[in-house]
Amino acid sequence: MCVKFQTNAIANSRDTELGRSKLRKSKEEATMRLFYYVLLGIFYTSPAGAARRQQANGTWIIPDRINELKMRYLYSFFNLQTDGADSGRHDAERPGPAPCKALPGLSPGQGRLCQLYKDHMNAVALGAKQALGECKHQFHNRRWNCSILDDVNVFGPVITIGKFSSQSELFVLPAKVAQELIPLLQSFLIPARMFGYNPWIYFINAGIAASRESAFAHALAAAGVAHSVSRSCRDGQLSSCGCSRMGRPKELKKEWVWGGCGDNLEYGYKFTQNFVDVREKERKFKRGTREQGRVLMNLHNNEAGRRAVIKQSKVTCKCHGVSGSCSLITCWQQLANFREIGDYLRDKYDGATEVRVNRRGRLQLRDPQVSIPTVYDLVYLEESPNYCVRDSVVGSLGTQGRPCNRTSPDVDGCHLLCCGRGYNTVRSTLRERCHCRFKWCCQVECKTCIRSVDVHTCK
Amino acid sequence: MPGTILENLSGRKLSVLVVILLSAQLACFLIGLLSPSPATSQGILSTVCVDDNPDADNINRWFTKQCKEIHLNQEKATVGLDAKNLVFVVQMPRHDILDFSRWQQNLVGVLQIDVVYQVEQKLDPIIELTLDARLAYSDKTSTGGRTPWQYYAHAEEKRYMDCSFEDTTIKDKNGYPYNCSMVPLFELGAISHDYYLLNLRLPYNYTVQKNTGLGRIEDVYLHVIHMNGGFTKIWISLKTFFFPIIIAIMVWFWNRVHILNRTPALLEYMLMGLGGTLAFLNLPVEYLTLIFDMPYMLLLSDIRQGIFYAMLLSFWLVFAGEHMLIQDNGERNTLKMYWKHLSTIVIGCLCLLIFDLCERGVQLLNPFYSIWVTPIGTNLALSFIILAGISASLYFIFLCYMIWRVFKNMSIKRSILPSMSQARRLHYEGIIYRFNFLMLVTVVCAALTVVSFILSQVAEGQNKWDENMDLELTSALHTGVYGMWNVYICAMLILYAPSHKQWSADPICAEGEEVEFSRLPTEASPNEISSLTSFASKASIE
Repeated sequence: MCVKFQTNAIANSRDTELGRSKLRKSKEEATMRLFYYVLLGIFYTSPAGAARRQQANGTWIIPDRINELKMRYLYSFFNLQTDGADSGRHDAERPGPAPCKALPGLSPGQGRLCQLYKDHMNAVALGAKQALGECKHQFHNRRWNCSILDDVNVFGPVITIGKFSSQSELFVLPAKVAQELIPLLQSFLIPARMFGYNPWIYFINAGIAASRESAFAHALAAAGVAHSVSRSCRDGQLSSCGCSRMGRPKELKKEWVWGGCGDNLEYGYKFTQNFVDVREKERKFKRGTREQGRVLMNLHNNEAGRRAVIKQSKVTCKCHGVSGSCSLITCWQQLANFREIGDYLRDKYDGATEVRVNRRGRLQLRDPQVSIPTVYDLVYLEESPNYCVRDSVVGSLGTQGRPCNRTSPDVDGCHLLCCGRGYNTVRSTLRERCHCRFKWCCQVECKTCIRSVDVHTCK
Repeated sequence: MPGTILENLSGRKLSVLVVILLSAQLACFLIGLLSPSPATSQGILSTVCVDDNPDADNINRWFTKQCKEIHLNQEKATVGLDAKNLVFVVQMPRHDILDFSRWQQNLVGVLQIDVVYQVEQKLDPIIELTLDARLAYSDKTSTGGRTPWQYYAHAEEKRYMDCSFEDTTIKDKNGYPYNCSMVPLFELGAISHDYYLLNLRLPYNYTVQKNTGLGRIEDVYLHVIHMNGGFTKIWISLKTFFFPIIIAIMVWFWNRVHILNRTPALLEYMLMGLGGTLAFLNLPVEYLTLIFDMPYMLLLSDIRQGIFYAMLLSFWLVFAGEHMLIQDNGERNTLKMYWKHLSTIVIGCLCLLIFDLCERGVQLLNPFYSIWVTPIGTNLALSFIILAGISASLYFIFLCYMIWRVFKNMSIKRSILPSMSQARRLHYEGIIYRFNFLMLVTVVCAALTVVSFILSQVAEGQNKWDENMDLELTSALHTGVYGMWNVYICAMLILYAPSHKQWSADPICAEGEEVEFSRLPTEASPNEISSLTSFASKASIE
């Protein structure tokens, strides 16, 4: 297998092994309870609490739904804002760089990059979050509603769980949350434990199919990070952005006066190239194996995602020559709104190409009739599951309980979305804002409209 | 009898000269490859600050990045705020560790305002913006700190922004961006301070229609463009290199003319004038900007370039006119003869000068000023530019007509050539050949200028995504063209300087194919610069 692959991770799993053997002496249920306490503890933890858990080791995967919780943990840790959780950061401070050891799920290579570019990590995390939000937006009315993003999350699906020094850090859980979490924990953690090795590898290689959705998610995550890094570049948050070589701050000024700083989009692209791809590149597999194919697929889709950011950017020019003529002209790339990038990648998702890995360890078209995918196109190795029923192995949550559109013949229509199982209809009254008038800066004058609608949900 | 060096230079010497000039030209181009691109832009995301006391009447109240910050995409954060509470803050340069250098010459600021779609909101395709912009500066102190922000400029300006919403197929348009044009904000002719700070407000006032058409703004970026220090260095060194050379050549040229004991010909005056304007253009006054605050540098360099181009265009006219191969009378040609043609140049240049004074002259007082925002200003600017365009086209019609006549005359005279003696014929053929060669050089230079202009536009405008693009083509094109006109004018001055070979000796029949001049004594008028013209009159006598 991958001998060199993440000595940390192996050490971690060894630790877990140790911890596990201790725990095995007690009852099996106690193990479960600990994990679930810990996960919920993370969810309900304050930044201060998170900081104390830096020494945590031991590696576990977490299931899809928990990912959001994890992201929250991450953001609270970074002192970043989650959706409306703490609106309006009125304090003057900007979030300080996050200590890399505390970041869960970084691969060894990423860990090293994190050490080098500490101030970039906020942007990376924001990018991952942005990608997740965009994915949910793009797929909110499809069978797969972006329920799996762990695998492509740049931090990986791994969360660190610590050996707690004192019981005081465990929290008493509200029963409702516990109810929601237990089935998830059972479905995801137990299969992982059954494999004796690093659960993450299990997760990546067997857990989620190398499907179209995975391709999209990889591309979107890479795009999210590239976009976010480029953007924070413009914010002046990244000390070295665009002015190349980090290690020579003394010459930075000289370099800047001589040739200015490079384009921040290019910087975002290059940083993401290093940061996201390193995790694929540090794993070595035998040529032509499925795992190697998966690595190639991920690399290709990551590149497609980054390119999407560039492709969607607009080139804008300004003439500033003699009398404002165009004898001197300067152009720059204007970062696109992430929504546009998401739209573009969704189109690419619809037109993704199925490939397979050949014996020489290269990707090859499965159907020679179709045209060869470019760097901008997405590729996948396996057909997607239909996502109709819940299947933790392929990472499908099923469509049960999902709202659908009765009249639409499209994927969001009840017939397709519910996979022919039929739907329930409930009549409900909606109060919404309508006839809005916007007044710069901060007022939206709206009327409230009340309408009654039928809400259909899949059986 | 004065001939020019061009006619009397042997083929070998001429080729040596051409090789020297061409290698100088090549060197200019190669130097450009070493330098970075002429200018860089830096996109800076503005920080949105809350001004709790918007009515305070203190011009030196500055908001920096360390302020009470909010994010416009969070509706909750902006509740209860008014347009005058929001201040968009941009600190230049982007990174705190960097500061501006005087080598970066000038600063141009362009605003990018990201407007997103709101439910059921209709935006006009052209939005009128009212910008309350304030600029402050700060300098490094010797102890490593910074001086407090000092007032630099303040203005409330109007701008227009075109916004379009392209994709109508999207179902859920909320949050989709409008495609809005850039808004030019300011131009600073000199970077004399280390740091600049922009505080921008977008006041709302329904009664006077301020910013009433504005939609939901998500982000405001400021793109600042400055010259690159590296390019400035190379540019100034080019100027410093060419300036003494052109002066030396001018001195030498004028000496030559004075040795002749005759009044200089018109073309010689024109050549001197051309050399003078080039020397003026080459004069490296940019060195002074490194010491003094010279915000009028932009205007000055515009004027310098304008004078040079006006002189070059007039020179071409006179050059073609003086080689008409027709000597109607023995009278000395003066500029008065060309008044029709030259007036087109004068009018065109004056128009551009007035336009430039209106735009860049006013910008000396108010860096946020733009002539294009008021309808009167736009009309005025447009009419000046159109007038300049008309005179430019008139000029080119004149010039083309004259060149056409020169070539027609030449072909007529050429038909008489076979009836001449062989030595003389060879010589005259050589003159025509060299004249044509120089005409060709002019055309090639002009064509190269146009081509490099287009190339530099393309090179800049294309989506720069080539990882191994280390060479900078744009600046190479700039230095190449600049060097080319220097070389061209040097060549003109050298080749059209009076030759000393013949003015002492009487025509002697040389042996073999060696060319000699046997001129008819009657038409030895001292005002002819080129024996080509004397050839023309002689041929007509023959």
